[in-house]
Amino acid sequence: MLRVSAVAEQAGIPSSSLCCEGFLGQARTTAEGLGYSSLPLAKVPGHVDVQRPDELRAGVLGTTVNDLIRNLTEPVMAIAQSPDPGARDIVFTGSFDDINRFYIENGWSDGLPIVPPTMERVQAFLDFVDRDPDEVLGTLLPDNRQATIWNVAVNGVIAGCRPEYMPVLVALVEAMADSHYGVEHSGNTPGAETQIIINGPVARTLGFNTEQGALRDGFQPNTSIGRFWRLYLRNVAGFMPHQNDKGTFGGTWNVVLAENEVALSRIGWSSVAQDLGQPAGSNAVTISRFTGRNVIVSVFGDSPDKVLPYLADAIVTHTTWEVIFVVGMANGTYQPLLVLSPLIAEMLARAGLSKADLRQQLFERARMPARRFENLMTHWTNLVPGGKRGLFELTRLGKAPKLFGESRDPERLVPVVCKPEDIIIAVCGDPLRSNCMFMPHNGMLGFTTVKPIRLPEGWEQRVGSL
Amino acid sequence: MNQLESVVWPRSARTIISRPLAARLASLEGKRIAFLWDYLFRGDEIWDLLKAELASRFPGISFVDWDQFGSTHGEDEHRVLAELPGKLKALQVDAVVSGMGC
Repeated sequence: MLRVSAVAEQAGIPSSSLCCEGFLGQARTTAEGLGYSSLPLAKVPGHVDVQRPDELRAGVLGTTVNDLIRNLTEPVMAIAQSPDPGARDIVFTGSFDDINRFYIENGWSDGLPIVPPTMERVQAFLDFVDRDPDEVLGTLLPDNRQATIWNVAVNGVIAGCRPEYMPVLVALVEAMADSHYGVEHSGNTPGAETQIIINGPVARTLGFNTEQGALRDGFQPNTSIGRFWRLYLRNVAGFMPHQNDKGTFGGTWNVVLAENEVALSRIGWSSVAQDLGQPAGSNAVTISRFTGRNVIVSVFGDSPDKVLPYLADAIVTHTTWEVIFVVGMANGTYQPLLVLSPLIAEMLARAGLSKADLRQQLFERARMPARRFENLMTHWTNLVPGGKRGLFELTRLGKAPKLFGESRDPERLVPVVCKPEDIIIAVCGDPLRSNCMFMPHNGMLGFTTVKPIRLPEGWEQRVGSL
Repeated sequence: MNQLESVVWPRSARTIISRPLAARLASLEGKRIAFLWDYLFRGDEIWDLLKAELASRFPGISFVDWDQFGSTHGEDEHRVLAELPGKLKALQVDAVVSGMGC
């Protein structure tokens, strides 16, 4: 909404942005990042989702319209910005406790103790990349701050990472800065969280946990790199709760998922990174935003026919409002993650299923009634309005794949992804337990993005010398 | 724990400097107002209410509806934004209303 207003103002056309009452603070900080700190807002009292028509009307005619007229016809006071420190400026000197208090007071910490980012500690991180510290990796919305090798190192220090994680951290920020991912959506109200997946020999070298408790904190690379991600979102992209981060509930960071490549190699399956186009055996990070997760406990059966109905049911059951990323808001951007324990992956592979076969089978079996899809898309959420068009109508208009509109029967079964490849499958977790996990996806608001991890010359020696 | 250390900050400078807003209009009378919408949060209903009220207060005001532009959120977002300056000019728009931030 505000990006539209900024474009209009830049074109010399005055604007007024309509904003529900609870989102005025977010709008003001977002506007600052867009370079228009005084971009005028017209308040819509309360939140429109729960208002009767007469309440909506009273709010719009009593408040919004007057704000709008004022915004378009009266001079708007400019808001001055305070100057920023330089990247290498010393901003504070004190004890460990004092530094932590200073960081919390300035909103640069997540509330846990940080490792003080001294010049020496930052340099130790820089020693693990052959890159210019001032190299710009991208510009991150909403704050419009530059992502640099330098501030990757600083945030790596404060997150409690080890210096040798630096090449992984840089790859993550390159992924974050890729417009394909859509970092600017990271403060939206569902409060979805990014899941990082790491592949390649670097995971073993750095000691990632790939087995039992794969998503549990307690393993330094998995945990601290997960923490780094959210600190970087806060400090450089600018996603601060009560400001640009409007997750209604939110959640803490996700521990990094490292695939069990020993198990993958044993059964001849590709890794997640390979499925997304990276060369076999290469080091890579994959990021994607998921709205939640659930364990698929005790998957029981010694053949695909016995196991797949349960896995497909989990995909359907845990896909709810996210169907708008299948058809409606951003077609074909729903890429849920199915995590298989090695035990289940091995049983499926032993039965002759490749990963592609498994995706195809799940695509054919994971179907929901069109009526439920339409309720989630329009009637229950109003997320795809436009006259409450159903799947049949959207298909007829060319706005949905044909599979979704084969008839008008509300009980017909439709897919929950647009194509089999949209189901991302990873393998990790306890190798001797039959549990799996499903994560519904946030679609275009955190689209799956993969980046290679570039190691410096003499990487093994550098790590070995520690 | 009592050792003193000097630390740097974890952010970086903003790449955008604050820019001035466009000149405001003397009045909305006789002006052409466009509504751009993200297809969310009842913006269509609100726009109808706003149009009726503005028309009653400002003679000669006219409107360009949201369906002239496409959704400003979702798969068309980047295209709609890229085309916007040219489209606003072609449609002779005097002011823009954008919604919904909810």
